[in-house]
Amino acid sequence: MTFSFPWILWFTPLAFIPLLFKEASLQYYSWNEMIPKDRLSSIIAMILKFIATLILLTIIIGLSGPHSLQREIEKTGIGAQIALVLDRSASMDDPFAGNNQSKVGEMKSAAAARLITDFVNSRENDMIGMASFSNSGMYVLPLTDNKNAIISAVRATAGNALFQTNIGSGLTTGAELFNKVPDSGSRAMILLSDGAGRIDAATQEKIKDWLGRFKISLYWIVLRQPGGISIFNTSYKARDDEPLPPQIELNEFFKTLHSPFQAYEAEDPKTLQKAIEDINQKEKKPIKYLEKIPGQDYSTHCFVAATLMMIALLTLKLIEVRSWL
Amino acid sequence: MVQPTPLFDYHIGWKSKGKHPGRHKSNQRGMGIEFAGHTTLLSYPDPRRIDIRQSIRDPLGEIHVKIFNQRSATPVMIVCDLSASMNFGGKNKKINLAAEVAQSIAHSVIDRHDALGLIGFDDEIREDWLAPLSFRSQHAFTLIDQLKNFTSVNKSNRAIKDLYQYMPRERSLIFFISDFHMPEIELENCLSNLMRHHVVPVVLWDKKEYINLPNFGIVTITDPESGKKNTLFLRRELKEKIVDSFEKRRAVITKAFMNFDIPPFFVDQHFDANKMTEYFNQFVGA
Repeated sequence: MTFSFPWILWFTPLAFIPLLFKEASLQYYSWNEMIPKDRLSSIIAMILKFIATLILLTIIIGLSGPHSLQREIEKTGIGAQIALVLDRSASMDDPFAGNNQSKVGEMKSAAAARLITDFVNSRENDMIGMASFSNSGMYVLPLTDNKNAIISAVRATAGNALFQTNIGSGLTTGAELFNKVPDSGSRAMILLSDGAGRIDAATQEKIKDWLGRFKISLYWIVLRQPGGISIFNTSYKARDDEPLPPQIELNEFFKTLHSPFQAYEAEDPKTLQKAIEDINQKEKKPIKYLEKIPGQDYSTHCFVAATLMMIALLTLKLIEVRSWL
Repeated sequence: MVQPTPLFDYHIGWKSKGKHPGRHKSNQRGMGIEFAGHTTLLSYPDPRRIDIRQSIRDPLGEIHVKIFNQRSATPVMIVCDLSASMNFGGKNKKINLAAEVAQSIAHSVIDRHDALGLIGFDDEIREDWLAPLSFRSQHAFTLIDQLKNFTSVNKSNRAIKDLYQYMPRERSLIFFISDFHMPEIELENCLSNLMRHHVVPVVLWDKKEYINLPNFGIVTITDPESGKKNTLFLRRELKEKIVDSFEKRRAVITKAFMNFDIPPFFVDQHFDANKMTEYFNQFVGA
């Protein structure tokens, strides 16, 4: 039990002011000893004496905002700890590559947001976190089991995209989500990007180290750009002095990771959906996770109690006899 | 028009020792019609009272005279409780009723040519409410007039134990006006000190104290003498209890007075002088 505004409790002594004042009404009787003892009367006398103080006390306590502390309950379910790492580079606003007829079609980012929303909704006990990246990694949402938060975060990524593709930064930001979170036994990172970027050697080492240490399996969904090279195209041979295209190079790097890795290539929303369904199938293991139960706010209870007591006091005042002489 | 003060008829059950002629039986020799005995003319030289029959029958030939007792006046004291409980009653306070009763007594006493005195008391015998016994007691009348506007402030009635010191030496008729809201032991002590006198307790109760309480509601009552506060939730059950308590109290007071052979005279809100006449006819042997 804590208070949101503990300083208001300093006003508590004010509640005892009514005790200092005596009843204003002076109904003189002749000899009070003639009145027989009556239990109900003495109860009402007590109520009348202390009710004003009680009302003030409950109001002051209510104003100070009492609430119970947040609790965490360990639950077991089926699912995984998943970090979504979404590409927010400008090219995500283009239509899919598979749609050759026209340039008009569902944007890659919008389709991704829609399908991931469905994916999130179909998972029961996952803890999902989110990071996105363009020029650099952006921390969006820590690992949480609050579905509303996840879906809102996913929707937010469907907006306008920005700048370049910096996959390395996105991956490190995504891996950081798992830092200081107890391992539930099943951890996955879904990297959704179009194209790829080059990752310098230091970052590569870092990614390899972190993914291995946190035991994160990586799923990479590539939304192929129109006319781009498929990452599964093994026959591609670069010219002598040119480096490999970035996506093939990245694929090669991912294969060297210590943790499991799976790549998907999507050309239209359907193939993207298939890829996500595949991940959905794979990442179903028992998971232990902590559910946060928010603290309960008791100020309303205090105000309701104060109101009830005020009504009681008013009723008692209404049936008070002013004078019968 | 001022209502004439109602008068009542009272008499005493003993022989007054007062020398002043009045209307009560007395053991003073004088111009009465109550035959007291014979004596000789020499010892009571009143030739108008010569009893010829008795003188003729006397072998020694002495002349006999009849002796009669005159009717004398008797002292009457009004004792009035001035404690704060007499303030009860709102517009029609008990003290007003007490003034009304006192006025009726005073006028009846003057009508009988008796001597009148008045004493008021609360926590002490009030010297300013003391009218000594007199046949022309203007002071007592003034005080009774003042009594109508009197308001006591938080005084009790502890001086009841000192009352007897201020009473006349000879046996008198004492009208004791009070609500007798006091512990029985004090009442009994007072009455035993006043045993040489004839006390007529006029018990002033107000129906608003018990029967005419409100039927329902909450009220905080203050005891005017102790200042103690009680909150009551009035309802039928409690009201019945209160009425019951007053009826018991009535029985207790009556018993306390009857132990001294004094029937109390209860006044409920309205003083009826005829009832007082009836009281004397019923309880005081002529």
